[in-house]
Amino acid sequence: MAFFFQELVNGVTVGALYALVALGFSMVYGVLKLLNFAHGDLYMVGAFVGYFVIQWFGGPNALTIPVPLLVAIMFVLAGLLTGGLGVAIERFAYRPLRNAPRIAPLITAIGISFFLENAALLLFGAQYRVYNTSDFIPFHAGFSIGSVSVYAVQIMVVVLGVALMVGLRQLVNRTKFGKQMRAVAADTEAAEMLGVNVNFTIAATFFLGSALAGIAGVMAGLLFDTVNNTIGFTAGLYAFTAAVVGGIGSLPGAMLGGLLIGIAQSFVTGYVSSTFTDLIVFGLLIVVMVVRPRGLLGRLQLQKV
Amino acid sequence: MRGRSIIAAAALCTLAVAGCGSNSSSSTTAAGGGSKSCVAQIAIEGPLTGPVAVLGQEQLHFAELALKLDNAANKTKITLDQGDTQLNPAQATTVTQQLTANSKIVGVVGPAGSQEVEAVGPLMARAGLAFISGSATNVTLTQGKYPTFFRVVSNDRVQGANDANYIVNTLKPKAVMIVDDQEVYSTGLVGFMTPILKAAGIKVDHESVSQKVTDFSSLVAKVTPATSVVILPWQVASNAQRLGHDLAQQHKKAVIFGTDGLFSPGTFEIAGSYVSAFGPDITAIPADAALVTAAKKYGSFGTFGPPIFAATHVIDEAIASVCKAGQTPSRANVLAAIKQTNEPTSILGQPISFDSHGDNAHGKFFLFKISSAGKYQLVG
Repeated sequence: MAFFFQELVNGVTVGALYALVALGFSMVYGVLKLLNFAHGDLYMVGAFVGYFVIQWFGGPNALTIPVPLLVAIMFVLAGLLTGGLGVAIERFAYRPLRNAPRIAPLITAIGISFFLENAALLLFGAQYRVYNTSDFIPFHAGFSIGSVSVYAVQIMVVVLGVALMVGLRQLVNRTKFGKQMRAVAADTEAAEMLGVNVNFTIAATFFLGSALAGIAGVMAGLLFDTVNNTIGFTAGLYAFTAAVVGGIGSLPGAMLGGLLIGIAQSFVTGYVSSTFTDLIVFGLLIVVMVVRPRGLLGRLQLQKV
Repeated sequence: MRGRSIIAAAALCTLAVAGCGSNSSSSTTAAGGGSKSCVAQIAIEGPLTGPVAVLGQEQLHFAELALKLDNAANKTKITLDQGDTQLNPAQATTVTQQLTANSKIVGVVGPAGSQEVEAVGPLMARAGLAFISGSATNVTLTQGKYPTFFRVVSNDRVQGANDANYIVNTLKPKAVMIVDDQEVYSTGLVGFMTPILKAAGIKVDHESVSQKVTDFSSLVAKVTPATSVVILPWQVASNAQRLGHDLAQQHKKAVIFGTDGLFSPGTFEIAGSYVSAFGPDITAIPADAALVTAAKKYGSFGTFGPPIFAATHVIDEAIASVCKAGQTPSRANVLAAIKQTNEPTSILGQPISFDSHGDNAHGKFFLFKISSAGKYQLVG
C-alpha cells in the first residue's frame, strides 16, 4: 500500500507540472486556435531563468538570501520574462499571420520552437545545468508517513500549481478581462465590434500562458534538477497531449489531462515497467480519444452552415 | 543560415577551383622540416546540436584542441570540417555523403554512436575513407564489416564483463536494478552484463527510460530493500545525478553503478557510486595538466572529449607520417598509415594500436568510486 501512495505522490507532482504547461497551451489555442508548439520552449527558458537566479545569488551552496525569497524571485522573474517573451513572439511572429491560412502560423510555431531551442544552445551552451536543489532545500525537508516520503519541493509544486490553476480559473470566469478573453475565443470579430481590444486580449493571454510555462519550468528545475536547451520538447509534447485529452481549449480539461498523464505514467512505471510507460500511457490516450474525440471535458462546437 | 553559408562557401570554392584544389594537391613533402607545408583536410562527425549536443560539443572542442597542438608540433596545416549528426543515423548518412563527396577530406573523426557507425560504415568503406570513433563501443562494429573503421576505446564486451564481474565479486548484491536509456550503447551493455549477473544468482530487474526523461521518482519507488545496486549504462550524467537524489529523497540505500557514459566529475557526484571509464581521470594525470587547462576553457568536460582528442591525434600523426614519407596525403595512404599506428602512450593513459578489424589492441576500462567530496578514486 505504501508503494501505491508513493507512486500516487510522484504522479500527482508530475501531473501538476504537466497541467500547468497544458493550461497555457490550451489558453492560447482557446483564443487564437493556434497550436503553439513553442510553448514547451518557454518552459525551457523559465527553467534557465531559475537556474541563473540561483547562480546570481551565490549558487546553491552559498546563497546570499533566504531560500523562500530566492524561490519567490525565481518564480516571479521566470514568469515575467517568459510572459514578455510570449508577448514578443505573438507580436512579431503570430500576429502578422493571424489571417493567413492555418498552416502558416503552425509552421511558424515549429520554427519559433527550433529558434528558441537553438538560441539557448548558442547562449547557454549544450551542457546540462543542475539546480542542486537538495543543497538549499534538503531532502529531510518535507514529511514521511511510514515509508512514503513527500519532499518539500513536491508539496510546493502541487500547492503552487493548484493555486495558479484556481486563480486562472477565477480570472477567466469572474473578471472583466476573463469575459473579454472568452468573447475573443468565441468570436473575434464580434468581440471587436463590441469594443473588446482584441490585440490586447490576445497579447495578455499569451503573457499569462507563457508565464505559466516559465513558472512550470522553474518548478521542473527545482524538482528534477536538470536544465538544458532541449527539455522543452518533451514537456511540450506531454502538455499538448494533456490539453488534447482534457479537451483542447478547456482549462479544467487541461488540468485534468495533465494530472491523468502524470498519474498514469507513475503507476505504469511502478506496477508494469518503465520500458512500456509511454506505450501504455499513449495507448490509453488513444482509447480516450477514440471514445471521446473532443476530449474528456471538451465541448462540441456548433457551427453555422 | 548556416546551410546557406555552407552553400555559399561551396559555390565560391567551385568558382575558384584552382585555388581550392591546387593548394592541397601541390602541397606535400615532409612535415616538420620539409620546404613545403603538409596540408590536409579532415572532418568530425558528431551530435553538435540536438538532444545530446553536450557530448558533441565536448567532442568538437577536444578535436579542435588536438588539431591545434598537433599542427603546431608537426608543422602541418590540417583543417577540420564539421558534420552535425545529432546522434541520428539518417542524419549521419546525409553528412557522410557530403564528406565522402569532398575528395580533399582524408580522414574522419567520429561518429559518436554505434548506430551511426552502422549507418555510415558502408559509405565510408566505398569511399576508402578512414574514420575513428571515440565512443562507438558496440562489439559488432569491429567484426570485419567496416574495413575503414577504427576506435580508440574498448568495446562493450570488455566493459560489460569488467563491470558485471566487479559487481558480482565485490559488491555481492542479492538483487540489482539495471536501467537502459533506450540507446544502442546502453542496451548493448545491458546485454553483456545481465547474463553474468543472472549466472551469479542475482535477481535482475530490467527497466528502461528515454534519455529525455528527467523524472525518476516513480522508477526509484520500485527499488526494493534487497536491491543494493542500481546499474545505469547511461550517457547523460546529470540524469544519473538526479536519480541519485531521488534515491536519497526516498531513503533508498542502493548504490549507483554507472558505465563510461556517466564518467563526469563535477556533474555526477553521488557519493558511494561507481563509474567505469575508458581511461583514468585525465584531470588527475600530471602529464595531462596542460591539456586539462586548455580544455577547461570550454567548460567542464566528461568522458567523451578525451577519446576524440586521441582519435584526432591518430589521424593527425598518420597525415604527418605520410608527409614525412614525401607523399601527398590521400585517403588511401592515410588509411594505410592509421593501420600502422603504434602510440606507446596517449591521453587515455594507454597505448594505441589497432588490430586487423580496427579495435584498439590495448583498450581497457578503469573503475572509479566517488568519494563523499565528489572525487573520482580509482578502485580497479
